[in-house]
Amino acid sequence: MQRIKIDRNKCIGCLTCVTACVVSHESCDARNRVTIDSGRKAAPIFCRHCDRPECVYTCMTGAMKKNSETGFVEYDKDHCASCYMCIMACPYGVLKSDHITHKEIMKCNMCIHRTEDGSPKPMCVEKCPMQAITLGEVE
Amino acid sequence: MKYVILGSSAAGLNAARELRKYDQEGEIVLISKDIYVYSRCILHHYLGGTRNLAQLNFVESDFEQRYRINWKKGLAGEKLDCGNKQLLLSDGTREGYDKLLIATGSHNFMPPIPGLDKANNAYGLRDFEDVEQIKAAAAKAKNPIVLGAGLVGVDTLSGLMHMGKKCVLVEMADRLLSKQLDKRAAGAYEKAFEREGNKFYFSTGVKELYLDSEDRIKKVALSTGEELPCDLLVISAGVRANVEFLKGSEVETDRFGLLIDETGRTNAADVFGAGDVTGRTPIWSAAVKEGLTAAANMAGVPRKMTDYFAFKSTMNFMGIATMSLGNCEAPDDTYQIEIEDDGTNYKKVIHKDGQIYGAILQGDLSYAGIMTQLIANKIDASKVKKPLFKVDYSDFFHIKNNFEFYYDKSEEDTYE
Repeated sequence: MQRIKIDRNKCIGCLTCVTACVVSHESCDARNRVTIDSGRKAAPIFCRHCDRPECVYTCMTGAMKKNSETGFVEYDKDHCASCYMCIMACPYGVLKSDHITHKEIMKCNMCIHRTEDGSPKPMCVEKCPMQAITLGEVE
Repeated sequence: MKYVILGSSAAGLNAARELRKYDQEGEIVLISKDIYVYSRCILHHYLGGTRNLAQLNFVESDFEQRYRINWKKGLAGEKLDCGNKQLLLSDGTREGYDKLLIATGSHNFMPPIPGLDKANNAYGLRDFEDVEQIKAAAAKAKNPIVLGAGLVGVDTLSGLMHMGKKCVLVEMADRLLSKQLDKRAAGAYEKAFEREGNKFYFSTGVKELYLDSEDRIKKVALSTGEELPCDLLVISAGVRANVEFLKGSEVETDRFGLLIDETGRTNAADVFGAGDVTGRTPIWSAAVKEGLTAAANMAGVPRKMTDYFAFKSTMNFMGIATMSLGNCEAPDDTYQIEIEDDGTNYKKVIHKDGQIYGAILQGDLSYAGIMTQLIANKIDASKVKKPLFKVDYSDFFHIKNNFEFYYDKSEEDTYE
């Protein structure tokens, strides 16, 4: 499957990826984040579309599910009950709800909505000026 | 290979899907009392009319065909014969198995209140049939009472409210959701519900039910001596594991429920268990993971389930979101408590020597999954030079070869 590779040492914390995410989804919130650790070093925190996705295991509606073909963890906002269990379950603190209606979970979809065939085309990767995030194939 | 799964909820269906992943050829028979796929955790949305039956489905709509599952609906296991590897079913037929998964869940506990055994307008909220009955009864009810203010009780209350009902809720503890919330966090919900015309009786029990000649509840007597009119009673006083059918078999149970090890095995050969039937970890994610673990082992793929932290929940009532993790009160005064409260956003963390034991977050829950991880895996957060509420993954950042994140266990150990 394809994942966004993060090279933390290249990240300068410019937040271009965060802006790109908001633009790509025409959203009021980003589905990724960059935080600063105790040593003042930037850390891009992006959904990993985990092999063992805790957000999927905890989803009691089936709105969050693992696509066995692409490996992506997909989210269906229309089926979601906004119970927030996925926010609690994500071990890396990637998820939150939108800040206006608090109904939709801000979940990375690898920007598959940007292509005809549903292949990934993450705008964050395209816009990163440092190539700190790149798209790569993994087992 | 013939796999038989008893129960079609979180554990059973996830196990069925996982079995098919590992075994393309094997026969999978699913046996359940339930005739529909529905998520129990959102039944109150059906009650409130915000979801229909199809919207309660938590798996693919073509689940049976897609995973080639022979689903026998409306049937229960009556007796298990481990020696002959056979189940006696409620229709009198027998079903043989090579590997069996018991994922029968639990049923409502009905407390010993005088009158309750005869009353025909008292229900629990557990199965789809329950919610249908409550919905029908509630349509005409003027004085609905909910007994028990745990998550299911408050779910019921919110469902009934969506039907336009004003309810009375009676609870033995001194507040709403006493297992999950402290006074401050519970108070936010209590006020919001009371504003809509609902009424709470805390530190109060139901002593007796008064029935009419048709065994319908007319009045309930409270432990305080007060009497309240009632034409619908919903009981949420906990659950008990569905293990009755195992009586007389060699499968071991205790006072909570079915006994399984971390691979999902029971003491009986080729008999596995998963989900609420164990009576130990009554949350959705535990049922799913136990189901996946048991399925893998049934198919011969070794896997262990070691995530025992089940004292966690989120809730979203009346537009107020809360996450509750671990202890919501400090066990004694050797623990430190941090509180932030601006009236809407309330945050409390209970910690000691760098380790967090419990947290309540009410209001904004953004990115709070990190807190679950810190508590569940006893990760030392004292190296993080930030307020506890602001801890994020950056201070634990690690990347695997496949670009997944992980927590460095060796690093954790050195901090212990």
